[in-house]
Amino acid sequence: MPLITVHVNGVETTKEVEPRTLLSTFIREELKLTGTHVGCDTSQCGACVVSIDGKTIKSCASFAWQFDGAKIQTIEGLANGTELHPMQEAFRTHHGLQCGFCTPGMVMTAVALVENNPDISENGIREGLEGNICRCTGYQNIIDAVKTGAKAMRG
Amino acid sequence: MDTTNITNGIGKSQERREDFRFLTGAGSYIDDMNLDGQAYATVLRSPEAHADVSSIDITEALALDGVLAIITGEDWKVAGYNPIPTKSAVRKAIDGSDLKEPPHHPLAIDRVRYVGQPVALVVAESIDVCKDAMELIDVDYDSLPSVSHQSEAIKDGAPQIWDIAPNNICLDFELGDQKAQKKAFSEADHIVTLNLVNNRVTAVPIEPRGALASYDAGTGKYTLWNASQNIHAGRDTIADAVLGIGKENLHHIAPDVGGGFGVKNGVYPEPILILHATKLLERPVKWFNDRSESFLSDTHGRDQVSTVQLALDKDGTFRGLRTETVGNLGAFCATVGPFTPTGGSSRTQGGPYRFDAIYYTAIAPFTNTCPLDPYRGAGRPEGSYQMDRIIDYAAAQLGMDPIELRRKNLIPTEDLPMKSPMGLDIDCGNFPEVFEQTIAMSDRDGYDARVQKSAAAGKKRGFGISMYLECTGGGPKEEAKVSFREDGKIDLSVGSSSTGMGHETAFAQILAGHLGLEIDDVVFRQADTEATAIGGGHGGSRGLEVGGSAVLQTSREIVEAGKKIAAHKFDVDADKVEFSEGHFHVPGSNHTMTMREAIDAQNDPDMLPDDMEPGALNISSVFERGIISIPNGGHAVEVEVDPETGTIKVDGYWVMDDFGTIINPMLADGQVMGGVAQGLGQALMENIVYDDGGQLVTGSLMDYAMPRADDMPRMVIGYYEDAPTAKNLLGVKGAGEAGCVGAPPAIVNAVCDALKDFGVHHIDMPLTPERVWRAIEDAKAS
Repeated sequence: MPLITVHVNGVETTKEVEPRTLLSTFIREELKLTGTHVGCDTSQCGACVVSIDGKTIKSCASFAWQFDGAKIQTIEGLANGTELHPMQEAFRTHHGLQCGFCTPGMVMTAVALVENNPDISENGIREGLEGNICRCTGYQNIIDAVKTGAKAMRG
Repeated sequence: MDTTNITNGIGKSQERREDFRFLTGAGSYIDDMNLDGQAYATVLRSPEAHADVSSIDITEALALDGVLAIITGEDWKVAGYNPIPTKSAVRKAIDGSDLKEPPHHPLAIDRVRYVGQPVALVVAESIDVCKDAMELIDVDYDSLPSVSHQSEAIKDGAPQIWDIAPNNICLDFELGDQKAQKKAFSEADHIVTLNLVNNRVTAVPIEPRGALASYDAGTGKYTLWNASQNIHAGRDTIADAVLGIGKENLHHIAPDVGGGFGVKNGVYPEPILILHATKLLERPVKWFNDRSESFLSDTHGRDQVSTVQLALDKDGTFRGLRTETVGNLGAFCATVGPFTPTGGSSRTQGGPYRFDAIYYTAIAPFTNTCPLDPYRGAGRPEGSYQMDRIIDYAAAQLGMDPIELRRKNLIPTEDLPMKSPMGLDIDCGNFPEVFEQTIAMSDRDGYDARVQKSAAAGKKRGFGISMYLECTGGGPKEEAKVSFREDGKIDLSVGSSSTGMGHETAFAQILAGHLGLEIDDVVFRQADTEATAIGGGHGGSRGLEVGGSAVLQTSREIVEAGKKIAAHKFDVDADKVEFSEGHFHVPGSNHTMTMREAIDAQNDPDMLPDDMEPGALNISSVFERGIISIPNGGHAVEVEVDPETGTIKVDGYWVMDDFGTIINPMLADGQVMGGVAQGLGQALMENIVYDDGGQLVTGSLMDYAMPRADDMPRMVIGYYEDAPTAKNLLGVKGAGEAGCVGAPPAIVNAVCDALKDFGVHHIDMPLTPERVWRAIEDAKAS
């Protein structure tokens, strides 16, 4: 079995993985970071989005062994203790979540969208979130949260 | 009912207390939970729509390293459990005979009847081993002719799915006065007929269904953590009706649940199968659906084909309404499946409009498809679609203005309270005012300019409106239990369950607000059969109406008990003590005691009157709703259609809702916006399709379209709050389902308005670009 070393939320871990183990399974089952969710099996819903070396990917659509040496950030690595990341705080303020299941992937995607484009427009946000499905909110409060989060991230 | 003195904590957009854990990945959903020694289960599902199972060979699969057990229909037959019963409230056909209820066992016994039906349960050391083992099970199927569509199923000569149900009919149903309807029709100047399809859809909560079961051989007790919306009723059905283990031996809990929308309300095969397996193996067993299995096995919703007839006079006055519907049940009676096309779809017929008479009939047949059960609205979206579509269709046929037609026929306020022709108790509301406010908020002044602008770009702009009237439902009783800890925390347990609606916040808001305590001190527990004796779960927009009322009732009883403690301290009669803003006081004196002081005093016998025991403020109370409430409102929509491609842009969306008292506007907005998204999805893109051979064509998110962020318009929402209902303590009318009730007719009306110049006056949902383009081209050709 391949042996991989990953840096997850700043912590280095070395583990053996089966060749067929998906990155999402590795994160959830091996690293016990269950904030990364799996809502589909066709990489459509986006609940599993994590950040790898600063780029977001759908962790259900990649194998764990592909990421030997990578820096991985999951939703658990976003807040600073009890101090939420500005994007997390904006989701709370705007009621940008209901059941919370799509939320980790939605927040990870939103952070990356804004990091890549600090002045992102409403249409840009809507298009940028195309790969993340939320069934509860109708998206409006998510869009408003990302706008507020972007403003706070710009500082 | 006394709806006064509920001001504290009400009406405030309190931020949610559950959000911190959801935002940091600390939520605890089923698949996040694991127990020591846990085994895993997967379900082998039928690839055939209708077939005899001639043999199942599990030899090779059982020999695989790591496989612990394989359970088949034969094993289930030997175990002798009962089938899963339906709890449909409508149980009699028109002739008085019982509905035809075929045995619904968790595993197929001898014959399969839909693609996705469980055939075997595999239990192994890991999910991967389960999947490998499923590949090694050899099932021989002898295919039988199948039928997917309800209109085909009821024809003579159609494949018969159950011997007990000739022509595949489970039951038929009628409501209303047929004689009066016929009289109204014979007297009316016009009768307009419209055939409608209410497309088959599915809820797709982003968390798939799953469960984790354990068994304690020492006590004989089972524990089931289940992604369910209805813990108490589910426990009773699973433990008493199916397994016969006694409900006291099943502890049923829903942890954080990632969306429900009705689809997690019923009792499903898989949790029952893993309860059997956990006892067999004396190990915890976890099962979790993947998304493809969810499409095959989560109950579907809607799927009705209807003929609607509206009788009206020359001046536009509505006289009568006649609806005939055929509602697909799938292969079995799901938990409340037969109720949806019958009772569920009949009650709100006619909407908020005045009629001399309404007559509704339904036929509910079986087909070789996944069973149908409630999906957000369950019958009311169908009724609203029938009513508000035929108004626009009639207006187009008769050259009338659909807005004026509505204005003319809305039930005037002076007619309230009234009993509708369907027997619905409409106690309060102001439909004409809600209608005018809906129109007023929808920027009509700028509309003509926007039409011109669209036209200049080769596009067609349209405006549509619907006036929905719905009713709440679900279990009528709820318990709210409060106990005060010595460390200052307040335990609040309620039997209803939130799958994202925010009960942890709204219920704590009611309790803390009423008692004048800190909301952060409330520790909330829900959906646990050992936390409350009864519980109605979630369904029928009942959360606040029944659960919230229970919390308020318990809060009031705590205040009354607190008055006795304060009276004892003040040495006055309890009826002299008043309570406001967290303080007990006696008018005209300087006696005062805070609620917190009364709580601290409740465990000190010296501080209590003689007739009070320590802990007297720890109170549990059951609220029982008498009559369901009537949420209502208006949806207005503007769309822009590209006639060259058939694509639709929803460009403006306005909603005015009458939900009675609004407890937390932020949460109410969230319910409306999410509901509108689901209604928009049904209207424009969502469609569950079976082919003629019973294969599911839309079995993944690659095939089943759902609204994404860039499909949604910006929604503007307002509330009409001048008609709180007296049917519950809070004055609320359920908010959970209204969005997806009002949206489909308003959106389709707007598109048909945009296309009226082409002569297109109806297109069946979903209004995909292809369907819209074809409708335009067909109209041009004729």
